[in-house]
Amino acid sequence: MRWQTDMNRPANGLKQGGINRNWRSGVGKLTDIDKIISSLAAVAEDPLGYARAWKDRTQGKVIGILPMNFPAELVRAAGALPLLIQEDDAAITYGRSLLFEFYCGYTRSLVDQAATGKFGGLDGLFLVDHCVALLGAVDAIRFELPDLPVYLAQYPASMDEPATPPMVRERLGGLWRKLEQVCETTITPEALRAAIAASNANRAMLRRIHDMRRAGQIALSGRQMQALVKSAMVMDAAEHGKALTALVALLEGQQAEPSNRVRLHLSGHFCHAPKPELLDMIESCGVTIVDDDLFTGTRFVATDIPEDGDPAEALARWYFDRNDNVPCSTRAQKSADWESYLAASIRRNGADGVIVLVAKFCEPHMLYYPELRKMFHANGIPHLLIETEHEGLPLEMVKTRVEALIEGIRQSGRTRETA
Amino acid sequence: METLVQTDQARPVFGNGLKANKLKATKFGGKLVSEYWESVFRAKEEGKKVVWYNGTYIPPFFHSHDLVWVHGEAWSAMLAARHKEIGAQGRSDQRGYDRELCSYARTHIGQMLIELDKVKSGHHAMAADDPRVETMLKLPAPDMIVNAYPYCSSGQQWDDITYRTFGKKIPMFTIQIPLLWGGRPDAGYMQGEEWEERSRYVAEQLFALTKFLEENTGRKYDYDRLGETMSFVKKAAELRLEAMDMCTVHPSPASFFDWIVSIAPVNFLPGDQNLVTYFEGVKAEIAERVKTGEGAVPKERHRLFFDGMMNWNKVGWLADKFAQVDACVVAGRYTHMSFWQEPQLIDLKDPILGMAQNYLICPNNHGAPIMIGEIEKVCDKFDIDGVVCHASRTCRGMTNAQFQIAGSAKKYGRQAMFFEGDVADESFYKDELLNVRLEAMVEAMDAKKRAA
Repeated sequence: MRWQTDMNRPANGLKQGGINRNWRSGVGKLTDIDKIISSLAAVAEDPLGYARAWKDRTQGKVIGILPMNFPAELVRAAGALPLLIQEDDAAITYGRSLLFEFYCGYTRSLVDQAATGKFGGLDGLFLVDHCVALLGAVDAIRFELPDLPVYLAQYPASMDEPATPPMVRERLGGLWRKLEQVCETTITPEALRAAIAASNANRAMLRRIHDMRRAGQIALSGRQMQALVKSAMVMDAAEHGKALTALVALLEGQQAEPSNRVRLHLSGHFCHAPKPELLDMIESCGVTIVDDDLFTGTRFVATDIPEDGDPAEALARWYFDRNDNVPCSTRAQKSADWESYLAASIRRNGADGVIVLVAKFCEPHMLYYPELRKMFHANGIPHLLIETEHEGLPLEMVKTRVEALIEGIRQSGRTRETA
Repeated sequence: METLVQTDQARPVFGNGLKANKLKATKFGGKLVSEYWESVFRAKEEGKKVVWYNGTYIPPFFHSHDLVWVHGEAWSAMLAARHKEIGAQGRSDQRGYDRELCSYARTHIGQMLIELDKVKSGHHAMAADDPRVETMLKLPAPDMIVNAYPYCSSGQQWDDITYRTFGKKIPMFTIQIPLLWGGRPDAGYMQGEEWEERSRYVAEQLFALTKFLEENTGRKYDYDRLGETMSFVKKAAELRLEAMDMCTVHPSPASFFDWIVSIAPVNFLPGDQNLVTYFEGVKAEIAERVKTGEGAVPKERHRLFFDGMMNWNKVGWLADKFAQVDACVVAGRYTHMSFWQEPQLIDLKDPILGMAQNYLICPNNHGAPIMIGEIEKVCDKFDIDGVVCHASRTCRGMTNAQFQIAGSAKKYGRQAMFFEGDVADESFYKDELLNVRLEAMVEAMDAKKRAA
């Protein structure tokens, strides 16, 4: 499998691979844990291939969904597979004639995947977010794939206004009806409740793994952590839940050990995952990634959907809860501050510094970054901004910047040995 | 291919070297714009409350409540048009804003930071020769912030940053103007269930806006005054559209660039008799040109449509550029499909619903299939030979769907081309690329006409 090849290959000549070298348990457990993670990573590596196989197996519908606030549970309640479309590794070719080069790598990859026939297995494409670049991509896809049902249920991004909650409910209603139409089924409240419960259970297990990483109890690499979340975004919930249950049981047996590696928090990177090679490189500089607020990370798993009461109302509530819980600069909410959340996270997780990963041309992140920077300066938090691109990064050049950050942290005596 | 000749002037001669034959009547607009900004600068001295807003053309709500308003985009465009944007953009760079971010936002936020710097430092003095002095010393701080941004998600976030920069102390109101996605079977331009629902949704928020203004001024909102303000706006809009319609003749008596400099009156200037007077003047001059056969381009051979946001640093430059290859840019998405484009929807006795509907039909607020259909109608109406897409680097709201727009133009037998630039950041403009592409486009249109 391609993933396994990548796992064993030094990333760009660096020593750090997918499996953490400081693993502290027995060989048997390493194998079992690695086996589970590798199987999830294989799905994360080829989500469209997984969806095709799932479709062949179940004869069910596959609904492509777009980040970051789509309630996948509604698709599951329709008996379909919600597939959160990922950035593709392929070079953008035909997509260049659909979207300008000054759009983020994710949106350019989306249109390229559409234009190169990779969305053939999708029965629909749905979204609720209205990032301006995403809208451009989706309109291009509408032209490119005129037979594919594409549906926008635009959630208002201003969270404080009295008009917002009724509009979110109204949009959910439209989404519900459209999914029933595309999936040729009736979505029942019972099915939705079951889908919510399954998602919550999986999120809870992923949060548990994040907690163990934060506490230093486990030493999964950034690449491995990403594979766990990415696979959650694309897999059948029951299947993913089964793998997570086995994994968590194995990880619970791990013991924390002292480490003098620099502890970093990774922040940002909306909509799609940073390239694993970048995470490998950061870790190769003597770093342990202890926490994050990445979309393909904590942001995705942080918030459960209420399980009591009307499930439709719960889905609406979840939209607001998510931004209360892990604020996002794609929303405008007077009472929510990403920088305050980040400062509190760093106090809690004991990170020695922060690396902010911003996808090039991500406008909401570019707009908000100065607010984060102000907080870093006010709190004396060492930090580094790395801009990522679809086409890849000059890793060796970026590495010198990471090393400089780490050297600065070490010289300042900020590092804390953890156990 | 034409040869570039460097002259003793700063601007290289291109093509035939002729200049655009601009409308004279638009000079009155320049006077109105200057007076408007002067009134903004005097606001605090006159004890008036100031609203900062971004997005659609909502000033009639402020004007009817005796408020002074600052349109962030207009401020940035004004600085760019006067080539005074560099200081503000430099300050935003210093703060950490990436240059790939919307240059309207960067310029406006940069200005805001300059103003706050002055407050914090306790002195307002700048060096006498500082180019920022003339316009930048006076931007009054907001007493309220209103956001009413159709389509572009960054517009809402921009005002959120403004709110935060002022310490979350300024009352803020956001009007959500949802995209007319056009996914339902009955969807079309100003028709269908979606249109009806969204119209009511926005109208309700506009009514709530009047309550917000009441709460923050302690004064009752005067809806009769709103109707009166809108009577001037509606009349001006009608005159503008009538004058635009007169440009279907060959040669076109006015160009896209004349309409560009006529945007301020229908976008953010006070809704009073001056607006009507302005467009009466424009219409009269156009009527006179129609009578005499005088064109906006001295030797019009080709008629173009301009897609995209204006490059405010280059208004005159571009007007001349197209004239120099005998191409008249007759119409554009920004000018001909927005700004009180459907004035008949406005009932002066109860204008709010019609205002909401005009805000909704901002052209990029439609899903691309409907928007492009409307563009083709405009192109047919004005007998357009080619479409020029301004790929404005930091304005994704206006570059979305441009490849599909170009594709549609070609499908209907029109030439299409792109050129690189930006709304307020001149550094993204690539003159020589535009030159060669424009020359190639003109050659293709010539060849096509010869073949016909």
